[in-house]
Amino acid sequence: MKADVRGKNPSPTISSMQNPSLFTNSRSSISSAVLTGCLDGACIEKLLLHCGSALESNDVTLAQQVMWVLNNVASAIGDPNQRLASYFLRALVSRASRVCPATMSFKAAGVPHRRLMSVTELAGYVDLIPWHRFGFCASNSAILEAVRGFPKIHILDLSITHCMQWPTLIDALGKEPEGPPVELRISVLSWRPPTPPLLNIPIEEVGQRLINFARYRDVPFEFNVIEVGGPLEEEETAASSSFYDFLLSQVNAAMVKVNADEALVVNIQNWLRYLPDEEISSLDSSCDGIMSYRDSFLELVGRLSPCLVTMVDEDCDLGAPSGLASRIVSCFNYMWIPFDALETFLPKDSSQRIEYESDIGHKIENIVGYEGGQRIERLESGGRLCRRMASAGFMSVPFGEETVKEVKVLLDEHASGWGMKKDEEGMLVLTWKGHNAVYAGAWVPHAPASHQNNLLV
Amino acid sequence: MNDSTASGDDSSGNHAAPPQKAIAKKKRNLPGMPDPDAEVIALSPKTLMATNRFVCEVCKKGFQRDQNLQLHRRGHNLPWKLRQRSSKDVKKRVYVCPEPSCVHHEPSRALGDLTGIKKHFCRKHGEKKWKCDKCSKKYAVQSDWKAHSKICGTKEYKCDCGTLFNRKDSFITHRAFCDALAEETSKPASVSPPSPPSPASSPPPPLPLPSEHEDSTQTDVVSLALPDNNNHVTEMLESAKPDSTNGRMLEETPAMTNLTGGSSSNGSSSSNVFATLFASSTSSGSFQSQTAGFSNIFRSIACPDPTPAIAPSSSSEPVALGLAVNQGSSIFGTAGQDHMQYPPAAPPPSLSATALLQKAAQMGAAASNTSLLRGLGIASSSSSPSVSHDGPSLAGLGLACDSGSGLKELMLGTPSIFGPKHTTLDLLGLGMAATGGSTSGLSVLMNGGLDVGRDFSGQDIR
Repeated sequence: MKADVRGKNPSPTISSMQNPSLFTNSRSSISSAVLTGCLDGACIEKLLLHCGSALESNDVTLAQQVMWVLNNVASAIGDPNQRLASYFLRALVSRASRVCPATMSFKAAGVPHRRLMSVTELAGYVDLIPWHRFGFCASNSAILEAVRGFPKIHILDLSITHCMQWPTLIDALGKEPEGPPVELRISVLSWRPPTPPLLNIPIEEVGQRLINFARYRDVPFEFNVIEVGGPLEEEETAASSSFYDFLLSQVNAAMVKVNADEALVVNIQNWLRYLPDEEISSLDSSCDGIMSYRDSFLELVGRLSPCLVTMVDEDCDLGAPSGLASRIVSCFNYMWIPFDALETFLPKDSSQRIEYESDIGHKIENIVGYEGGQRIERLESGGRLCRRMASAGFMSVPFGEETVKEVKVLLDEHASGWGMKKDEEGMLVLTWKGHNAVYAGAWVPHAPASHQNNLLV
Repeated sequence: MNDSTASGDDSSGNHAAPPQKAIAKKKRNLPGMPDPDAEVIALSPKTLMATNRFVCEVCKKGFQRDQNLQLHRRGHNLPWKLRQRSSKDVKKRVYVCPEPSCVHHEPSRALGDLTGIKKHFCRKHGEKKWKCDKCSKKYAVQSDWKAHSKICGTKEYKCDCGTLFNRKDSFITHRAFCDALAEETSKPASVSPPSPPSPASSPPPPLPLPSEHEDSTQTDVVSLALPDNNNHVTEMLESAKPDSTNGRMLEETPAMTNLTGGSSSNGSSSSNVFATLFASSTSSGSFQSQTAGFSNIFRSIACPDPTPAIAPSSSSEPVALGLAVNQGSSIFGTAGQDHMQYPPAAPPPSLSATALLQKAAQMGAAASNTSLLRGLGIASSSSSPSVSHDGPSLAGLGLACDSGSGLKELMLGTPSIFGPKHTTLDLLGLGMAATGGSTSGLSVLMNGGLDVGRDFSGQDIR
């Protein structure tokens, strides 16, 4: 239970939450409850749970009362729990005031107040805490090992960090004792999930800079943007099935022309969670059962016969099957991790910290405030992903000793709360004070003939 | 003080000799494997961290170390008997960590010396009070901090642009994208300046409103993000900075940014929104005097409505779109102010929920313009403002009912849309009926609760 990490157990006055009519008692009891007891993580978690339940059961009165209390507890410049609570409150109020959430759309154009970073700012942003760098490091190390000896390398990069991963790989390839590869190609999609961090230049320009850098490091390099269509502006919602069908078909078409002498690597970083995981009935029933877009995409990847699939994502279950109240609580307990890490490292009024937290607030808003197609943040824990990968016909590839060492060195350079563990599936998990934060894993498809075979080998 | 002793009862075969007093070099046990005959001491965190644990029984003077205490005791000329230490003190002691979740909490994992357990406790479970100047890495133990400071900055990577990095990977990543590299390879890459997004440069930038400081020197800039007139508006607004008496008010910077987004496509609707906000929100209503500049802006840009558009409310310097209104007397007034202190460069991350509710209630009371809700950013879609051709509509909300009442009912907890009736919203024990008329309900609840508000005001809840 997170409570013991964050503070003492809640005071007895919080039990008043069990009985909302207690709110109608004397004002002083409310004020004393709020002022004295209610400032730790376990308490806030309970409040959020109550609010979520209230919203689920359409008990607006109770929801409002809880929000009132939360408002007195939350603070954008308090401790991590308070800061986090302020984002949750915002998302909940926003949700509660929308009567028919399904008519809202959550697409890139709908979040105009998100700031755009410059590319050098983004470079700093991804290194503020090892949240992203952990995945970069583990994946790059595994990729290096997998492609060693191949003259031509093609990486399909699916991520939200605008190619921040690749400079270190390019650098490492340039320093290989055998020399750099004959050709390195990186392909990205023209579409990107509408979520922070947002960049103020198009991806083509990022690619141009990478080209410059690769030239500087004497690595032959090519950068492609796979056009998957941008129908987003006219569409009601980013989550319409036609969009995902189109996306999959475009990727398939572009990638199928893979050269035989190329080593293909598919790098999926903080990206898979934006593919819907609701199961839909598949018209093309070559596969038995119902598959979600997420599953379909993985199948597609398998058919491309990559020599490695690296996957990094956030280790929390907030996907399709979760009800609102439990999702709120899980999300709160999980998002506490980066908030606490930032607290340890940066002062309360640091603008970098506030911006980072605000981006997380954006995620919270989506996770908590929306349902159905608009809820695009569908986090999935490492354990579930492993099972999904197995069903999609992949075999897990444990990370090598070299990789583990490199990641350890990386974490030593950061604050001492960061740790790492290796789980039984061979994945590496970044931990903060013992709590799972981000997982990284690597897979290869089973032999090509078995990609339709859902049985585990 | 929870001094308790228990005999250490575990061993994995390690039998280091008990240390001789101060003469022979102490033999170190393997870490985590204490001497099985040692006495296990469990100190509370308070005792552990107490600087002067060893207290002279004669004069009550405290010392950090036992040796120092003994030296001091000699000066008291104690009789022979009392001078001797009891044989018990000779026995080796090992210490457990007071943190229950720690691995060293087990007697079998006790640490050998007091300094060691102190350092461990600080490092693992303590507050990091020591901070490196150069790299802002924090340490709980002073000696750790000293050791780090010696090596910090010695291994450094420097980019051509002048930025320093401690870590190779962050250096490489930066280098790849830095403008300095672009220049070096003389490629005409179109660069954006690597500085925080400046207000005038990018489309619709949320110009952050300054934090709520009395002597704020930050720009009071409000961005409408009107498509053609960003810079123009910015400059005009900056020049229109009013003088003001300082009052406490809620500063709804996120409301601003949401308005920015929400009204980006339609200048006139945005001024409508602003007008409405201020028409119903300012308690004194006397904002006219400070808004001359603003009204001019709006007249020139958003033609139709000669409304007294944006105004800082009558008091303090920072411009706010006045969700802040019942100054000091709102229920959530001061508590909400904790939300409001943002550094100027950062886009404000959260909208005070209270202010949202409060504002909504007041809008219900004023009963006119539901485009407010779009303006407030509650409808998060930016497509909705352009739907406002029909005038006030709750299209953005997806409500099919008429203007204010739907929201009021929502807030009152008796929404027709939610179906079953709920009991009286008796949030503050005010005994108000939640149903019915245009002036009852949450708005009155909030305004009527002013007394409650005063109970809370001034209490910094943090």
